[in-house]
Amino acid sequence: MKILVADDSRVMRQIVIRTLRQAGYDDVDVVEAVDGKDALEKVAEESPDLVLSDWNMPEMTGIECLRALRAQGSAVPFGFVTSEGSPEMRETASEAGALFLIAKPFTADTFRDQLDGVLA
Amino acid sequence: MTATIAELITVETVTDVAGEVWSAMVGADEVLVPDGGSAPAGTSAWVTVTGPWNGAVVLTCSPSATDDLTRAVLQLRPDEEPEAEDVDDVLRELANILGGNVKSLLPGPSVLGLPETGTPPPARPGSSTVAVSWRGHPIAITVQGATEAPELTTTEVPL
Repeated sequence: MKILVADDSRVMRQIVIRTLRQAGYDDVDVVEAVDGKDALEKVAEESPDLVLSDWNMPEMTGIECLRALRAQGSAVPFGFVTSEGSPEMRETASEAGALFLIAKPFTADTFRDQLDGVLA
Repeated sequence: MTATIAELITVETVTDVAGEVWSAMVGADEVLVPDGGSAPAGTSAWVTVTGPWNGAVVLTCSPSATDDLTRAVLQLRPDEEPEAEDVDDVLRELANILGGNVKSLLPGPSVLGLPETGTPPPARPGSSTVAVSWRGHPIAITVQGATEAPELTTTEVPL
């Protein structure tokens, strides 16, 4: 099982990875991406089972990355972990093909609630 | 009829948002104690909000707070010296989350900028500042209107 974590903040990538461990996903391999463009490339290289992506990033945003993936025919499961969780953003994310949007701040319970169905 | 930012985003609201962010990101038992003061001199990180309301959400930490905050967020040992890059990253990310949560309470679609550190943008009079104490360190969160519409520092596509 492999998860790609995309965030321009190294601290936030570290916190997301730590939360994954706290949520019980101890045995997953984690690949990191520093922005949407990097994530797009790493999905092709690494074939992750899930992408957890920030929304607002330089170079390419998370939503642009998701749309590019779907335009390329990739059906990789994709969820957002972002500081904004407005209804409009959730709708935009869903329409683009995201499975969920986790708003920061989050807890290990939030991760379990959203990821268990995807990684089961 | 229009409302000021202090009426839309009250001190109580900012206090609640900051408390949730601290609890989740800094530590479940970490509390922010209101101290009624003004923003301390120190390091600031902020995000801009562009939309029907233009402004910024600014986190300012006293010099004594930044290293402790970084150790807490990154779960470093008490004697571990955090790198300057990590200190900046932690402050930016906390400001980003505070800003994102404040933005979600504002009317209308808005765009959040990328978080920055340094000297915050100039503020229009009438800002909401929440001054708190964390482990005895003075910290402030300010929701401030922009004197002019900020330039976008994001590649985000407006909703």
